[in-house]
Parts: sequence; structure tokens; C-alpha cells
Amino acid sequence: MSNYFNTLPLREKLNQLGVCDFMDSSEFLDGVNALKGKKLVIVGCGAQGLNQGLNLRDSGLNVAYTLRKEAIEGKRDSWKNATENNFTVGTYEELIPTADVVINLTPDKQHTAVVNAVMPLMKQGATLLYSHGFNIVEEGMQIRKDITVIMVAPKCPGSEVRAEYVRGFGVPTLIAVHPENDPEGKGLAQAKAYCVGTGGHRAGVLKSSFVAEVKSDLMGEQTILCGLLQTGSILSFDKMVEKGIDAGYASKLVQYGVEVITEALKHGGVSGMMDRLSNVAKVKAFEISEELKDIMRPLFQKHQDDIMSGEFSRTMMEDWAAGDKNLLAWRAATGETAFEKTPAGDVKIGEQEYFDNYTLMVAFVRAGVELAFETMVQAGIKPESAYYESLHETPLIANTIARKKLFEMNRVISDTAEYGCYLFDYACKPLLADFMTKVDTDLVGKNFNEGKDGSVDNRTLIAINEVLRSHEVEVVGARLRKAMTAMKSIKTA
Amino acid sequence: MSKPVVHITNLNLKYRNKPVLQDLNWTINANENWLVCGTSGSGKTSLAKAIARIGHSYSNIETSFNAQSSLPALAYYVANWFQFKDLEGQSNFYYQQRYNKQSTETTATVKAELESFGKKHALQFNEVDRVLAALGFSELKNSTLIQLSSGEHKKLQLVKALWLKPQLLILDLPYNGLDVLSRKNLNLLLEEISEAGSQLILISNETELPSCINRIATIEEGKLVEISADERSWNDIETFDKQVPTFLSEAVVNASSEEIIKMINVNISYGEKQVLKDINWEVKAGEKWVLHGHNGSGKSTLLSLICGDHPQAYANDFHLFGNKRGSGESIWEIKERIGLISPELHWYFDPSATVWQSIVSGFYDSSGLFCDPGYSKKAQTDELIHYFGLDEYKNTLMNELPLGKQRLALLARTIVKNPELLILDEPCQGLDQQQTLHFNKLVDELCKNGTTLIYVGHFESQIPGCIEKRILLENGEVNSVEILHKKPILT
Ligand SMILES: NC(=O)c1ccc[n+]([C@@H]2O[C@H](COP(=O)([O-])OP(=O)(O)OC[C@H]3O[C@@H](n4cnc5c(N)ncnc54)[C@H](OP(=O)(O)O)[C@@H]3O)[C@@H](O)[C@H]2O)c1
Repeated sequence: MSNYFNTLPLREKLNQLGVCDFMDSSEFLDGVNALKGKKLVIVGCGAQGLNQGLNLRDSGLNVAYTLRKEAIEGKRDSWKNATENNFTVGTYEELIPTADVVINLTPDKQHTAVVNAVMPLMKQGATLLYSHGFNIVEEGMQIRKDITVIMVAPKCPGSEVRAEYVRGFGVPTLIAVHPENDPEGKGLAQAKAYCVGTGGHRAGVLKSSFVAEVKSDLMGEQTILCGLLQTGSILSFDKMVEKGIDAGYASKLVQYGVEVITEALKHGGVSGMMDRLSNVAKVKAFEISEELKDIMRPLFQKHQDDIMSGEFSRTMMEDWAAGDKNLLAWRAATGETAFEKTPAGDVKIGEQEYFDNYTLMVAFVRAGVELAFETMVQAGIKPESAYYESLHETPLIANTIARKKLFEMNRVISDTAEYGCYLFDYACKPLLADFMTKVDTDLVGKNFNEGKDGSVDNRTLIAINEVLRSHEVEVVGARLRKAMTAMKSIKTA
Repeated sequence: MSKPVVHITNLNLKYRNKPVLQDLNWTINANENWLVCGTSGSGKTSLAKAIARIGHSYSNIETSFNAQSSLPALAYYVANWFQFKDLEGQSNFYYQQRYNKQSTETTATVKAELESFGKKHALQFNEVDRVLAALGFSELKNSTLIQLSSGEHKKLQLVKALWLKPQLLILDLPYNGLDVLSRKNLNLLLEEISEAGSQLILISNETELPSCINRIATIEEGKLVEISADERSWNDIETFDKQVPTFLSEAVVNASSEEIIKMINVNISYGEKQVLKDINWEVKAGEKWVLHGHNGSGKSTLLSLICGDHPQAYANDFHLFGNKRGSGESIWEIKERIGLISPELHWYFDPSATVWQSIVSGFYDSSGLFCDPGYSKKAQTDELIHYFGLDEYKNTLMNELPLGKQRLALLARTIVKNPELLILDEPCQGLDQQQTLHFNKLVDELCKNGTTLIYVGHFESQIPGCIEKRILLENGEVNSVEILHKKPILT
């Protein structure tokens, strides 16, 4: 198997990267009809598997689970999840041959093995569904020609997929049809119906491609979503301790600060977040985030280039083959950082204080969101896709840090994201070393406004606001957020 | 004479920028146990929280405690609403979550919760068991918080307070959600701690009270007014002459079938624990039922099955609106035909929606509004807002309103689509006597049009007149089904 994307001629690469259509709700009027009465069999009953299945059944569809033998015999959690919720559970041999749609919700790393095991059992003309396209795009998995291959990817953790559904809503979702495997032309109709079944159609659906989903997903998670949040957190904590700020306070400010700060993104984008600062602090945050963008741009570009060329997945798969040697070493090292090891102090920090005393993180977030977005768009990814994989997901990931720091973030995200996150973090920290020597406690740890008279030049402020608000991520974001206004504060659970 | 326990001089208090208490004065002396009653929204909760110094400490409220007493020298407030978080400090729950097997292990157990409370207040563990037993709570020690029903959450709050025995105990609507027996036992326990030296402030409109209550007051125009027991009788009930909105007097369409609910040997269990056993029950279109049973007898699980909220519905022989569950219908098609209110629905409801949004969301059975409802739905909503006297709160957020007003809005949500099946699970919790009467009149009115009703209520005074059949659950089994000829008597 070889990297699917790399087999494509340039024009087709650009074509697939550019599939991006924010779908109108009228496209979903047919509801779940395209799947009604069909047999849906989900492989794996983990976070996505269980919750997507509960929603599909509650939407009137016929759902069963198939698990590997060990899981059934060992009555593992996946088996309990399925049986205790009264689903039929069976082996591949028992359930796959009669399935109209096989839904692969096993961990990405296992996809090749799982698909190789189930594909021979699948009936003629059946459909294979993924929630992430890594296997097809990066590993170049070849699927039998009679099989339709589609993707429905909720842009939220599984628990939210369920919680939002029963509230009568859903989570934003990407759908795609693999152009190499749509023999009967039914792929899109089935993907839409599946999306209705999980409730995604209520929260905004982006028609994408396997290629666009994978390339943008990888880029987002490595840079702004996980990589930069990790780097920013570690550097901020170390700086405060170096400057004599109480370690418990520093730990709490960093752990919860990213969540509070990025919550503002959800409502008003980057400018909404910057507006939470005083005028003087905003001017400062703007200046240093410009500087940060200049410093980090080459690194963001390198990540995007390696993702596009397949270099990233090649090295990561080498590490898989080596028993996750690097991944495990990096994971252990992250656990040993001073930030991870210092518990949050028992101090009260008010909501506004997180902004006033942590201007540095606001600058990091602005720089990271804009850079990730710009780099993706330059590489041929459409702004709407780039928005989902940068700004939209940042608060969701920040929430995991608030729960149990970096450990929790890296536990919740996929191994692929975790690997990319460490890769970025190790390259980014040295890059910022000089910059960090100039950072003092007014930017992180103490109130930036303290001892300043608060006045700013009118023209400077207006110019800054203009730059912030006219950035493409803001323009696209305002439109997409409007389509999802109803989206409640979605949290990882 | 010793100093008064509470001495309030000219207290002024605003709730969301609206004055509720104005130059209020109140002295509570030793050996006094007060009842504070009166209309919803009069400021009772605000006053109670102020005395307990919740959120803010007021200089014109002096409290002084007995240094000689062995009881904790503090004013402890038991809220009208329970709060809990999962093990990771989040409280982003949804009301169906307790029925999902895999989602229940993320919150602490009752036992762990009590242990941490006991540790915090240095309490003796052997003293809690008796309180647990008296409130029928002992068996729930190993349950997790999310598995508890609202009545059980209330009990947990009370268990903590009764175990603590503070010198001043303030209870805000303590009887909400408790069954008859638990209410009786609560009163006995309150008498006991009062004997032991705790003083009580009880906020309630109930009539069955602990015998130690010796002073009664209401809040009128922001001031505390003491009244006699006789004055508590409800002679000030206004005649209510608003017309029921016309869209609600239209006959409901029982589109499909005569048979609304049919359960054949329905069983629900979580692991070893069986919560419903061999339930057989039929409800025909237009029938008005009351569903009775003690806290924990399985009522809310039974109702969750009917509302499409229970995953185990798919494993049972169970028909709704003439169709077998799991034969290709979606839960939204079921919910569309049901108007539901329950303490759990209220507790988990989106607090950041406005009153108007909350009511319109009844058309979509969602917690919060996610789309534009269009003209006729908006018009019906406005009519109901007016009918419920909520005009001035139309754009107010739910969490900015007192409990009683929130509840009115959710009741409006329940009936806004004039559903064929109404499920009213303790609908009048948090309402005052007058609001309860008005709501029951409305229910009677609706039921004339062929609506099917299932009503759950622990308070006899709150049950509407139209009820004609009763089903009694005990320990998850149907104890009896009977036809009623007069108002039901509670066991
Ligand atoms: N997590 C997210 O936020 C998210 C969001 C969107 C899309 N996705 C995608 O959803 C898919 C599933 O992710 P997830 O987070 O739900 O995974 P997960 O929670 O780790 O669940 C994986 C399931 O697959 C089973 N499994 C593991 N190895 C297997 C093997 N070799 N053969 C067969 N079954 C195996 C596991 O059960 P046993 O080990 O008991 O067999 C488990 O039930 C991935 O493609 C992921 O990219 C995830």
C-alpha cells in the first residue's frame, strides 16, 4: 500500500483538497431514509462507536456491533457497552456478511488490520464507513471496487455526540465520499442519512473529501490544537516559577487559563478573545503575537509540508513499527515536566483575571490560530475546512487541559495527534527560547494593567482592531458560527 | 437575656437588579423555629441565602451562636435545588444520562460523598446511619450521584443537614419530591434536632409541619410580616379569569390508535439490580392516570421508557402509540406526541436559554432552541406567555429567574404543542398554592379535549380533579391498578 494522496496528479490533489461545501439544511430533508431498514454494523464500541450507535438507533435505524473475539470472550468494556445497552453483539463472521453498512470505529492505528479482516466478509455492494480518513489517505488502503466508501466525522468527542443529540441538537460534522469507491453513486445520500442519524445535520455539515479531512485534521492537531497549547503551557509555567511567582498559582493559571481564554473564541472568534483584554494589554498582545507569528511561521510551514508530502505519516508509521518507541518516550517526558507535577494551588482566580494575568496565552492563541489557518489555506485547503480544524476545535482541546493538564489532553486525543503534538512541541520550544527571555511577569502571572495608566493611541487601536477583524479566519468564522448559533457550550466529557 | 440568634436591620436586597427585600427587619430569638411561607418570587430564597452568607455577607445581618453548645456554630442552608459535579469537576449532564449504563460511573457514590462531607465537618460516622434509615436511603449508599432521582437528591441534602445539626438550619422547600412517609419522617427528625438545640427556618407552603414550628411569617412587599397559623389558610386566592388560549381547546388528534401505551412483562435492570419487574400496563387514548409509588419505586424509569429516553426500551415488548418500540421509529417521532415535565427535565434544562426560547423549544423537544420556529409557533408561544403571566420575563434567561417562575415557563413548554399525551411528573414543584390551583384547572381544561394524562404527585392537594385511574408501583412492580371514583387517597 502506498500513500493515496501521493499517487494523485497535482490537479487531482488540488481538486480533492478543495472539496468544501457548507451544506444547507434543505439537503437533509430526506432524513434517514437512505439507510432505513438497512443493517448497520459497527466495528468497535469505544467512545465514537457506542455514542454514534445509540444515536442511530434512537433515529430509527437498525444497529448491531461486531467486536474482535478477544473482546467478546473477555467481556471487555466494549462488549459491556454494547450488551448493557441492549444491542446485538457478534463476531465478524456472524454479523459482517449480512451488513449493508459496516462502520469502522476502531482506533486509527488498527484500521489496516481491521479492514483486512472484515472486507472479505462484506457482501457485494455494501458500504464501508469511517469517521477519519487516515487509513484511506495516508496508508492508501485499497477497498474492493464493489464497496462504497464514505466518511462521517463528528468534530467532537463521542460523549458530546450523544449529549448534544439527546438535547435535541448535534455536533458539527464533516462528510465525504471516496472518489475511488462510489460504484453505485449512493455514497453521498448514505453519508447524509447517517449524519441525520447521529444528529450532525442540526449543527452544520461540511461536505469535504477524505484528503481534505485528513490533511487539515493532522495540521490542526499538531500545531494550534495540541502542539502549541502544550508548548505555551510549559513555557508559561516555567517562566512564572523562574520569576518567583507561587508555583501553585502558576499551575492553576496555566491549567485553567487556556480554557477560559479560548472559551471567548467560541463566541466571538479571535477578535472576541482579544476584546477581553484592556486596550493597553490588547496592543501588547497584538505586538507579541505578530512577533510569535514571524518566529513560528517556518515551523508551521514545515509541519504542513511534511503532512502534504506524506513524510509525517511515514515517520510516524515507522514509530508504530518500532513499538511506539518515540511516542512512549515523549509521553513519559511530558509527564515529568514541572507543570504536570505541580498541582494547582488552592487560590481563587476570577474569570477576568485569567485574561489580565495571562496576556501571553492570549497572544499564543491568536498567533497559533491565525498561523494554522493561513498555512492550511496556502496549501490549498479551503477556509471553511481550515476554520473547523483550527479555531473551532481549540476550546474543545483546551477543556481537556483544564481537567487534568497535558496528561488528559494527550490521553483523549488520538495517538496520531499525540505523536504530532510532541513533534511540534520539541521543535517549537528551542525556537522560542530567545523570545521567552524577554517575557516578564506582566505578561504572565501578574496583571498587565498594574501600574500603567491605560491610555493608548486611538489610531493604533483602530488599526489593530481592523487587522484582527478583517482576517479571513474571522470572516469565515463569523459566517459559520452564525449557522451554528445554537451550538451550546460544547465540552469534552 | 441572651443575644438574638439572628438580628436583621433594614436589609435591602436586589435579585438581578430588581429590589426584592426592602428595609426588612427580623429578630430570631433562642428557642424560636420559624416557617416562612408565601408566594413564589417574594424573596424567601434570597433572604435565606443572605442569612447563611452565601455569596455575600451583609453587615446588617448579625448572627450570634451559643459558644457553650456542642452543635456547630453556623447557619447551614439547604438549597431548594441540588448541585453535583462529576469526578472531574464538571456538571455538563443531560437528564437521560442516568439511564445509560456506561455514563453512571463518572460521578461519586453516595457513600463517598457522605464521607467527604463527614470529614469536612468532623462528624461521627455512626450517627449518619440512623438518619439514612429514617429517610429510606440506606440502600442507596453505593449508588452514584447521577443515578439518583430528584427526590433522592433532596434526601441526600437533608441527610447531610440532619447529620450536621447546625445551630441554625435553614431549609428551602425541603419537602419537594419526598413521598408521604419520608415527609413524616423528616418532620420527626426535625423535631428531634430542634430538641437537641438546632433552630429552624423552614421555607415551605406545606401544611404538615414539625410541631416545633412556633412562629410563622410571609414576605410582603419586601418586608417580613408575622402571621398567625389561621391566617395561613388560603382565603386570598384570586379568581382566575384568563381565557385558555384557543389553540389549546382544540381537540387533540389521536392519529394512530386507541392504544397509547401497552407494556407486556417489561423488565429493566442495571447489572444485578432490577428496577422494573414484569410490568404490564395499558393506557388507552383519553384516559387520565395517576402514577403512585414511594421514592425509588421505579416511577421515573417507567416514564423514561415512555418518553423514548431509556435504551433498554429496545429489549422489551412495549408498544407506544400503536407501534412496537424498535420497529423503525425515531425517538423524535415519539417525543413529538408527548408533553413532558419532570424534576429531572427541569434540573438538566439549558439554563442559558430565555423564557421565550425555552417555551418554543417544546415544539422540538430540545433543551434550548436550535432553529427558527416560524410564525404560527411564535404566536402560540406568545399567547401562552401571556396566559402564564410571564410577559415581563419573556427575554429573561432561565437562570436569572426564581425557581417558581422557571417552572411556570417549563409548564408552558410542556403544553405548547397541545400534545396527545401529557406526562406531568410533579409538575407543581416550586409553585405556590395559587399557581398550583391555576395549573390544575388548566390541566382539567386540557383533558376535556381528549388528552391522555399520566400524573405523578406526592401531594394530594396538588392532584387535578380529572384523574380517573391509578397505578401503584412498589419496588419496581405493579402493586395495584384501580379505577377511582373520587380524588385518590395517598398511601
Ligand atoms: N475520539 C474522537 O474525538 C474522535 C472524533 C472523530 C472521529 N474519531 C475517529 O473515530 C474512530 C474511533 O475512535 P475512538 O476514539 O472512538 O476509539 P476508542 O474509544 O479507542 O475505541 C476503539 C474501539 O475499537 C476496538 N478495537 C481496538 N482495537 C481493535 C482491533 N485491533 N480490532 C477490532 N477492534 C478493536 C476497541 O474495543 P476492544 O479493545 O475491546 O476490542 C474499542 O471498542 C477513529 O477512526 C477516530 O479517528 C474520533
